[in-house]
Amino acid sequence: MSVRMDGRQKRITDAGLTLWFGLAILFLFAPLAISMIYSFNVGVVGKQTSNFTGWTLEWYPAAWNDLALRRSVQTSLYVAFWAALIALGMGASLGYALVRHPSPQVRKWLSGLTYILLIVPEVVIGVSLLLFYAVTGIPLGAATLIAGITPAAIAVTALIVRARALTLDPKLEEAAADLGSTRLKTLWFIVLPQLLPAILAGGLMSYAFCFDNLVVAAFLTTPTVNTLPVYLYGSLQYGPAPSVYAAATVVFLFTVTLLGLAALCFQLSRRSGRVRLGDVR
Amino acid sequence: MISASQPSQLTSKRAPSARVADHLFAAIPTAWLAIFFLAPLAFTVVYSFGNSLFGAVELGFTLKNYQTALSGFYLSTFLRTVQFAITASALCLAVAFPVAYFIARKAGRFRTLALVLILIPYFSSFLVRVMSWQILLARGGVFEVVLNFLHLHEGPLDLLDTKTAVFIGMVYAYLPIAIVPLFVVLDRMPPALLEASRDLGASRFQTFWAVTLPMARPGIATAVLLTAVPMLGEMVIPKLLGGSRGVLMGQAISSQYLQSQNYALGSAMAVLVLIAVAVVVAALARLTKGFAEVAA
Repeated sequence: MSVRMDGRQKRITDAGLTLWFGLAILFLFAPLAISMIYSFNVGVVGKQTSNFTGWTLEWYPAAWNDLALRRSVQTSLYVAFWAALIALGMGASLGYALVRHPSPQVRKWLSGLTYILLIVPEVVIGVSLLLFYAVTGIPLGAATLIAGITPAAIAVTALIVRARALTLDPKLEEAAADLGSTRLKTLWFIVLPQLLPAILAGGLMSYAFCFDNLVVAAFLTTPTVNTLPVYLYGSLQYGPAPSVYAAATVVFLFTVTLLGLAALCFQLSRRSGRVRLGDVR
Repeated sequence: MISASQPSQLTSKRAPSARVADHLFAAIPTAWLAIFFLAPLAFTVVYSFGNSLFGAVELGFTLKNYQTALSGFYLSTFLRTVQFAITASALCLAVAFPVAYFIARKAGRFRTLALVLILIPYFSSFLVRVMSWQILLARGGVFEVVLNFLHLHEGPLDLLDTKTAVFIGMVYAYLPIAIVPLFVVLDRMPPALLEASRDLGASRFQTFWAVTLPMARPGIATAVLLTAVPMLGEMVIPKLLGGSRGVLMGQAISSQYLQSQNYALGSAMAVLVLIAVAVVVAALARLTKGFAEVAA
């Protein structure tokens, strides 16, 4: 095979791959763009159809003035906040235990549990929780919903924290212990500061996940506790209003801002990690 | 990555009382998950063997629910779901692989940007994005206009409420989480290995087939795991894009709970989905284990 033929083949492959990537990006962004564009659509008698009937700004104030919509956003914010806070605490402690628990057997079981959390389909968790709460007589409310959406978020946070904990130098903890620090002091002053950015990133990630959770929430909502995705899902039956797209656009911008913060935290965690290691060496 | 040293000496030095903290770190999340995750799953398993009454279940041991769930309409729903999940996951992988390959090998200094672009849509409302596909796929919608413009299709295209629409939706929804694990393995692959293959006279295709693809197996397995498993329980996409035609397990289970109030049958169907998930996981574990043996 001549070198020239090979070069041409390579150019064709590269062009093909670039094109494929471009198409994939187009594919991924098309619905996002549509949902944003249609939040400005006049619609047909207040209903959303696939016809674009002209530009208007009225759906943003309409979404704001829709009391049920606004209450569902408030519920979502409240539920996602507490769920993320719980997932942050539990996930951080699970993620650290996955790396540092003294017994290899326990570590193995914990990592098994973490992966099970990720792979059980949401619909199975949703119906199981519905059954569980019904049988045990626990009344459904915000608390049961918060508890129900935490498992997957705990797993995500645990894996992020675990990745960071794996890079920690155990010698630092040993040195602290040798210098007379108690275990708790070591955890608080040595381990926690190093893990903190990963923990915060995990928490913000959990927040985004919990806010968008539809399937589990659909089984556990009550007339008074109704989250935004569940409200939107319910509104589909009589045709979504363009205000749905307006609300989604605002929430998306909010989430992206949060994720930007999470990325910043993670970036800082990597940088501070490097500095700390440099200090020790 | 996982090979980072475990603190064995560290723990042996510690006084037993100092280990309390370590045990608490394991025990607290485990207790929480035992109550809000494992116990509910156990309830579902127990109820799947019970006798269904109207809106209630009499506990007992019968296989009746499984017999119902594995016959007639329910069996065909189950098989259709498994078939959908496998096909959609394979399609997803086929679309994702070149994208991951591009990001890992060709994107150069734009790789972080490329990854971020892949992930951004994933964080907007899932429901709203699926709803937007209704607009894109509708008769006279953007999809039809573009295909007509490119002369790939002539005339109107009735995609909405078809199987094809469900496949498009599934591939769309799970594409980002298929790309990430593939990117990770392709990114870690030493370029020297590929050069060696070239030096030994392999063509580009042979190198890809004999070196790149086998080494990417763990990433492929993870990608399949992260796409096929949630697809087995997917209920929103079939409902919004497949209309009434494509009933899959997710919808079937939810309607047993919410409409028919047949908790026992619904539980049996949920357990069947869990078994399908376990089979997928076991098959993938074998695939990667085989890889570990080859590598060692």
